[in-house]
Parts: sequence; C-alpha cells; structure tokens
Amino acid sequence: MAAQPKPLAFEHPSYLHDPGGIWSWITTVDHKRVAVLYGITALFMMAVGGMEAMLIRAQLMVPGNHLLSAAAYNEMFTMHGTTMIFLVLMPLELGFFANFFIPLQIGARDVAFPRLNALSYWVFLGGTIFLHLGLLRSIYGLPDAGWFGYANLTERMYTPGINVDCWDIGLLILGVSTLLSGLNFFVTIVNLRAPGMTFMRMPMFIWAMLVTTILILLAFPALTVGLIFLFADRFLDTHFYRVSAGATPILWQHLFWIFGHPEVYIMALPAFGMISEVIPPFSRKPLFGYPMMAYSLVLIAFLSYGVWGHHMFATGMGPIADATFSITSMLIAIPTGVKIFSWLATVWGGRLRFTTSMLFAVGFLVEFTIGGLSGIMHASPPVDLQQTDSYIIVAHFHYVLFGGVLMGILAAFYYWWPKITGRFLSEKLGKAQFWITAWAFNATFFPMHFVGVLGMPRRIYTYAPHMGWDFWNYFESVNAFILGFAFLLFFINIIWSAMDGEIASSDPWDARTLEWSIPSPPPAFNFAAVPMVTSRDAFWVRKYGTVGTHGVAPAIAGGAAAAPIGAHAEVEEHIHMPAPSLYPLIFALGVFLMGVGCLVWTRLIIMGGAVTVMSVIGMVFEYPSFGKFDPAMIAESTLGLDHRKVGMWAFLGSECVFFASLISTYMVYKDRNLGGFDAMILNIPLTSVSTFVLLTSSLTMVLALAAVQRDDRKWSVFWLASTVLFGCIFLGGQAFEFTDFVMQGLKIQTNLFGQTFYTLVGFHGIHVLIGVCWLIVLTIAVARGKIGKDRSLAVEIGGLYWHFVDIVWVIIFTLIYLMRTVKHA
Amino acid sequence: MSDHALNPAHAGHDVSHEDHPGPGLYLLIAAILTVLTAAEITVFYVPGLQPVLVPILLVLAIVKFAFVGMFYMHLYYDSKVFTTLFVFPLLLALLIVFGLLLLFSHLQGVLSFVVP
Repeated sequence: MAAQPKPLAFEHPSYLHDPGGIWSWITTVDHKRVAVLYGITALFMMAVGGMEAMLIRAQLMVPGNHLLSAAAYNEMFTMHGTTMIFLVLMPLELGFFANFFIPLQIGARDVAFPRLNALSYWVFLGGTIFLHLGLLRSIYGLPDAGWFGYANLTERMYTPGINVDCWDIGLLILGVSTLLSGLNFFVTIVNLRAPGMTFMRMPMFIWAMLVTTILILLAFPALTVGLIFLFADRFLDTHFYRVSAGATPILWQHLFWIFGHPEVYIMALPAFGMISEVIPPFSRKPLFGYPMMAYSLVLIAFLSYGVWGHHMFATGMGPIADATFSITSMLIAIPTGVKIFSWLATVWGGRLRFTTSMLFAVGFLVEFTIGGLSGIMHASPPVDLQQTDSYIIVAHFHYVLFGGVLMGILAAFYYWWPKITGRFLSEKLGKAQFWITAWAFNATFFPMHFVGVLGMPRRIYTYAPHMGWDFWNYFESVNAFILGFAFLLFFINIIWSAMDGEIASSDPWDARTLEWSIPSPPPAFNFAAVPMVTSRDAFWVRKYGTVGTHGVAPAIAGGAAAAPIGAHAEVEEHIHMPAPSLYPLIFALGVFLMGVGCLVWTRLIIMGGAVTVMSVIGMVFEYPSFGKFDPAMIAESTLGLDHRKVGMWAFLGSECVFFASLISTYMVYKDRNLGGFDAMILNIPLTSVSTFVLLTSSLTMVLALAAVQRDDRKWSVFWLASTVLFGCIFLGGQAFEFTDFVMQGLKIQTNLFGQTFYTLVGFHGIHVLIGVCWLIVLTIAVARGKIGKDRSLAVEIGGLYWHFVDIVWVIIFTLIYLMRTVKHA
Repeated sequence: MSDHALNPAHAGHDVSHEDHPGPGLYLLIAAILTVLTAAEITVFYVPGLQPVLVPILLVLAIVKFAFVGMFYMHLYYDSKVFTTLFVFPLLLALLIVFGLLLLFSHLQGVLSFVVP
C-alpha cells in the first residue's frame, strides 16, 4: 500500500457516526448503511453455509459413515447451495459491494430509490429467515430437495413436510428483493452518473453491475413463474410437474435454467468487475482493452440467455436442441477469454504490488480459468452425458463459484475495506488466509475431478468402501477443514480490523476511481461537491494528468497528497439527503406474514397483505416529492429522464418475461390435456365484451392523465373514476367467467388446461386488481387536491402500468381465446 | 427535496408531457382499437377465414399492441430510451416463448425421426 500513515482530518462525520443508535440503522435509507446491513447478514450466512459444507465433508470423509442421516445430508447439501448462492454470493456482490460502491464510483449521493433499497434489504432478511423456518418445527425441517429443486422430487407426495414450502416461498420472497435491487441499481447507473461520465468512462465494475442488473431483471421472472407453479402444485393440488396428469417435470428444468444460467453470470460478472478494479492499481497500469472488456460483458450476458439447455443434455432434448445449446455454450468462451487475456495484459509489464487483494485477484484468474475450461468440456453433449451428476460437475462449479466468484469477492474485501470502515484489514493475516485458501481450495476440489471420473455420483450421503474413492474423499475432507480454518482467519481479521486495524487514508492504494477521492469512511452525503468527470479513470487523471493512462505509471507518491476531488472541497449548500423511514421494514414484515400465512393460518395472508399495502401507501405519501414533475431533477439526471419513469419501464420490461413464461406454459400444456375440459369451454362473447371494456379503460386512463396535466381536477377525477369502474367491470366479468367454469366442473385441479388457464388469466387479473387499487388511491389523491399538474407524473406512471396490463390482455385474448382451436405442440 | 441523489446540471432532453398528444388523437386511437377488435372477433366467427386465422389474428394483435404502446404509453413521443427498455425485453420474451414451443414440440418430434 502507499505509505500514508496520517489519516485525513474528517470535516464531516462519516456515515457510521450517527447519534440515533440502533434505531438509525433500522430506519436507514443511506445506501452505505444498507450495504453494511447486507454485508453483516451475508457474512453471518457465509459462516452458516461454511459449516454446512464442513458437515457434508465430515460425512463423506470415510465410506459407510453415519455421522449424518441420509435426510440430514440432503438438507445440508440443499441448504449449502441455496445459502451460498442466494444468501452469500449475491448479497455480498449486489447488496454489499454494489450498494456501497455504485453511487461512489459514479459520483452520486445515493441510489435512485433509497427507500426501495432499504426495503430490498428487509425483504431479503425476511426471505433468509423464511428459508430456515422449518427448523422451528423440526430439526429436520430444512429444505432438502437440492438448490435446483428438481420436480417432481419437490411435489407434496415425495416431500410432504414444510421443507420445500419454506424453500419455495423463501425464494419467492428473495426474488422480490433481488428484482427490486436490480431495478434500483439499473436506474442508478443509467440515470445518476456524474456529469461527464459517459458509458465509456464508467469504471469496469459499474459496467459489470449494469449488465448484471439487466440479467436480474430479465432472468428472475422465469424462476418466479416456476416457483409459482410449484406453489400451486403443493398448496392447490395442481399438476404442473406431474407426469400422471400429462405434465412434465422437464418444464421446471426449463424455467429454472432459463433463470439459472444467467444466474451464474449474475454471480460471475460482479466478480469480473471487482477484479477489473483491483488489478490496475496494483499493476500501476490502466485496464487493458477497456472497450473490449465492456463489450465482452454485454456479449456474455446476451449469450447467457441462449445456453440454459446445456444443463439439460441428459433429459433428451433432441439432437438439434443439443447442438444449438452446445454451440452457444462454447461461443460464450470467446468473450470470457477476451476478458482473461485483457486482465493478463493489464498485469503484463506492470509494477506489481502483491497485496492480499492482488493475490486473491491472481487466484481468481487461475482458478476461474480452470473452472471455465472444464465448463467447455460440459458444453459437449456426449462428454456431458458421461460427466453429468458426477463429482466432476461439483469440481467445475466450485472452481467457478469459489475459485472465481468468491476469490473475486475476497479481493474486493481487502481492496475496498479501508474505504468502507476507514481501517485496513491485516495484510499479514490476509496473506496467510490467501495461501491457505489457495492450497486447501485446490486440494479440496481438484481431486473431485478424479472421483468424478471414477464414477462417484453427486448427492449421495455415503458410499461403499473400495470403490477407489476412499483416499480422495478423505483428502478432500481434511483440506475442506483447512479451508474452513482459512475463513476463520478472515473473520478474525475483520474483528481485529474493527477493533484495532490500522487507520486508512482516503486513497491508500493510489487508485484510479472516484470513490478514493472522498474520505474513508465516506460522509453521509458522499461527495461534498459532485465531481465533474473528464475522462476514464477520473480520479487518476485528476491526480496525475495523463501520466500512466496508457502504460505503466511511474512509482510516484500516493494520491491523497494530490488534492482529492471531494475530500476537502467546500460542501455544497442545501445537500438534502432522503429522510429515514420505517415503512421498508413494515413492508417486509407484511410480506413475511403473508408467507407464514401460507404455511400455518390463511388469515395471516390477508393481514400481511393489508400491512404490505398500507406500508406502500405510507411510503408513497411520506415521499415529499411524490409524483412531482421536477424539471430541475430531470435536467440533473444523466439521460435527462425521470428516474421513476425509467424504473417503471424497466419493470415493465421485466414483466414481459414473466408473462412470456406463463403464456408459453399455457401453449405447451394446452394440447397435452388428458381429456375433460379444454379451450372450447372459453366464452368468447363474454371476453369480447371484457376486451372492449379494458380497451376503453385505457382511453379513460389517458384522458385522465391529460386532464391532470392541464390541472382540471373535476375531469381528472371523472376519468380516473371511470377507469376504476371499467377495471372493476373487467374483474367482474372475469369473476363471472371463473365462477361459471367452476360450476361446470372446471377447477384449477381438474386438468392441465384448467391449471394453466386459471394461472395465466388469474395472474393477469391480479395485475388488474393491483391497478384498480392503485387508481383508487390516485383518484382519492386527485380529488383531495394532493395531486395536480405539478404531480402528474404519479398518474402517468400509474397509467403506464395500466396500459401494460391492457396490452398483455390484447395478447391473451388473441392467443388464448381467439386461437383456442390452434394446436401449438 | 426529492428522494433521489442529486447530480449537477446536465443537458436535459426529456420530452415533457406538453408534447403528448391531446384527447383528439386518443379518441382516434380508441376508434381504431375498437375497429381492430371488432375485426378480430369477426375473423374468429367467419368459417371461410379459418385457414388464415392465425396470421390475421397475430397481425391484428400486434397492431393493437403497438398502438397502445406508441400512443397511450407515449413511446412514440417520449425518449427512445424507454422504447429500448421495453422492446429489448419484449424480444427476449418472444424468444423464450418460441424457444419453449420448439423444445417441447417440434424438436422432440425431430428426435423420433433421427434416432432409430
């Protein structure tokens, strides 16, 4: 590190200083504090997930072991995977690092929607607790069907307890949190960058997070739909994944992996971004091939949507599908290779400083490349058919997710920790942790390639002796415990740093990006004066001009001496940060109650729903500029667009994937019906009228907006109330249709047609119902004079949602009703 | 003060609501949507059009979808960023629909011809 023993004199208290105590943390909406909450939770869960891994390895250490029962072992590997993916890697990358550093790296004072950010955290915490709720009922109450939850193992008849219920609902809750975070960060990056920070001047971590948020928005809805079907199977006795009803468990695999493979990149791309931040300062060179690095991220993300089938070669998709997914999977190696070589070229010829952070970055390069190479093997269907469900796969994804992603996260920890806390982590302990990790990781996971080739399958809780697996399993387990010890050092390091760590200056690594221009830890408002960006590596250029922007920088003194951008600047007048709020926590409580209600007492669902709705209304009207059209804010934004409109459009984009998954399931299953009711039951005259009604509601909605925009309160209320009325008529028609079908004997459990029809049309109806509630609130607000011309944006955004619901119905009316005789499959 | 972080002035280029069309155009679009919906229902009930039912209905649905998106949701008037944010996921959603239909039907059919 650069020798700067003297800490900066803080002119303003850091974000960590707050006289409010614990209450200030509970109600915080500051992105840095929310990040810390995520970090603490995720580190705790890392310890839990690590202990689960230790138990798995203890069980497999010797053949014929009975330390854990088969049932307990199932729970351990299920929860280890689920925990590490959803409760450790993603929250550390998104909730902790991205939350903390996106605003700091783009020169913003917070994220676009601070309350939504806090809400995401509390919902995440609720989901985390929910996943473990089964423990209250039994020590064997944890989910036990694998992190992939393959149907039909997850059906009630095969897993009758509440284990999978907790997994299903817990993941639905976590999905809400992740989606909201993704939306928030997307809008922040797109619309909140400092002046002059064009896309091609953004730090590579920001590029990685931008692409990651797009992946989140477009991948999670498919998982949500799969989980909803599972929920229906378990709670409503439908048959989405039951072969006996004509359905296929393969549907789950498709929906899961449409989400699941982009999910791999949702975890990997942030780590790519972190490495791209760590390597340049410790090589004293700018990142090599910046444009290609950015384009590669985009290409990886794009291709990641076309490779899900490589997880399913063994299901027999057919040669054309296999060949297609094989080619796309191999193609993805090209942009990934571009990135590997660009990182190597950055290191090449640099003045290297092997700090702990840099060591973990180099570790990432080595281990991730090994994992990537074995991944190319699995992209070949004939090879994959031999390897699938063996320990080779376990070796592969641990090289990617531990050797790659977690090493990247650890590199980021040592790199950014001084900025987060104002103190260093111990380099001595850190280097010890690195070398122990490097040995123990490879010694644990590389032999898994061998036992995989020797035929050891995944997910077996014990094995017979003399299969040729004994030695390697013993060896792996011993090294897994050593690996656990390395993480113990990491936790000790964190505690030591918090108590007695060396004080860090604002720019201890002589770094290149904006976060290093402000004090460590940063003040609540981040930047005293919002920076003006004139080039890539904005802080470096501010410190040294063009020296070191195209090659190796000379070994000159640390950056803090070179007048950081924001540290000593005069604080801008009238910096207003968003006020704390309790509503995000109340919202999460409502969601949690709804989940619990599904398990134990259905009235809780209604109570939880009411709490959720009230918290949303409270949050909206607590918001001082609710719906306010603010030309100054729009002028200040990067794209000259309102954040809320950008957010709504991004959300609607995500909804497209949600409805596409529902519609495609209907189309696939419609012709697999095993008799009984089919689409001929649909009442075309009734739904034709409903269609006219809904289209008319779109007209009244847009007329209401026009009236609000010209400040005509009377007509605003009239048109809004008309829209509500038409919405209610539509819902009434739908209720009549459903009731009529049920009276005729078509229930949601009756057959594949019934379940897919009710689910698709029912979810559209739920969207209409939400829209009606939204419009009622808007109508009342307009009638009471709380919304006028200056706050017309509130009506415009509500209108966007309403029109979207309308155009989804246009598609449903055509594909489901008018094309009812057309065979799709 | 708004609930978003502040950045200093950029050259804003958002299209304000004053550029949105007036009630006249909205009514015209509503009339067109009514006619198109009536055409859809008519096509459904005319036996002679059954062979071309699918393409006609799909075209009519796409046109209705586009009209609502362009004029009622103001994509035609607002920033092209919004159009991008909506159309890109929409295309991806279409790919998912086509991909799943292919995987569950036609490609599995091919398997039975290729594999003896």
